[in-house]
Amino acid sequence: MPLVNFTSREITCKIVYYGPGRSGKTTNLQYIYGCVPEKRRGKMVSLATRTDRTLFFDFLPLELGSISGFTTRFQLYTVPGQVYYDATRKLVLQGADGVVFVADSQARQLDENIASLQNLQVNLLEQGIDVRTVPLILQYNKQDLPADLILTPNEMDASLNFRDDPSFPADALTGVGVFETLKSVSERVLKKLSEESPS
Amino acid sequence: MTVTRAIEPWIQDPLVQFVQEAGARLTLIMTPAGQVMAQHGFTRAVDVMAAAALGAAIVSSTREIAKTMGEEAFTALNHQGEEHGIFLSEMESPRGPLLALVVYGSESSVGLVQLFFEDLARELNEACPEKESTKPVIAADFERDLNDSLASLFGR
Repeated sequence: MPLVNFTSREITCKIVYYGPGRSGKTTNLQYIYGCVPEKRRGKMVSLATRTDRTLFFDFLPLELGSISGFTTRFQLYTVPGQVYYDATRKLVLQGADGVVFVADSQARQLDENIASLQNLQVNLLEQGIDVRTVPLILQYNKQDLPADLILTPNEMDASLNFRDDPSFPADALTGVGVFETLKSVSERVLKKLSEESPS
Repeated sequence: MTVTRAIEPWIQDPLVQFVQEAGARLTLIMTPAGQVMAQHGFTRAVDVMAAAALGAAIVSSTREIAKTMGEEAFTALNHQGEEHGIFLSEMESPRGPLLALVVYGSESSVGLVQLFFEDLARELNEACPEKESTKPVIAADFERDLNDSLASLFGR
């Protein structure tokens, strides 16, 4: 549940970028960090190995601005994608208000995508969260790679998107699809908050 | 500059009193997910949001290590540097666990922080109402505000 400060009229939401190793979760945050004005973002924190693989998480606080009279902040996190780091993934997922699943569009990575999506469902369920109720967006990254190496967005949808959640093709390195993904997850998180608010 | 912010008023008095008594530079009260519920002290002492996220991660990972050793939890954690120290601890409330991150300097000590932290934990536990006050938050037609905010964020 997003944190709401009625005194100062602020809302803080936690968004977690989930997905298999090397799918581009950190790249999404780095792109956002690079193109958002300094006064609208905080410090980006990365707990990574010496080879820049995410060890615990990346963290980027963003200030969206005023929405319905509330100053709205989003805290973006990534999880480590490698299978080995499941314990830390669970910790980062705690209290998530929305999830972006970043899939690697390479055909050879399909099994890893499916395993990671299943792992997301298991880890949400362990926290008593039904994957059907949490705002979830799928991003099919690396769509810039040669066509013979990747699956199309439709093929990715057929393999991963069985709940018909919003999905976006992306090339996070150049920013294609990054904004659309963030916009979509923001909308779904705030819509859920709006629906849960007493009228 | 000293800043005091609290999401709900019941947190503020015990927190301000603790910071004064313990001689802390800054204290954050957070959810286990690392979201700041209240803060009091010198904001320059630390990057508040980054410290909250990292502090919550430390508490979570320490708890998991404790579990692997058959311990329910480790009660608190302290790191002492040359000029600053941090004290991190979980505490119970009627709404579930809360976390505290205390930044202190040479004018205080871990002993002083620990001494008054017990009072803080007890007072917050007593003051915390079981249910959050729910008020209308986001209007149903929020999309326009969101679109404008995101457009300006990404320079579009």
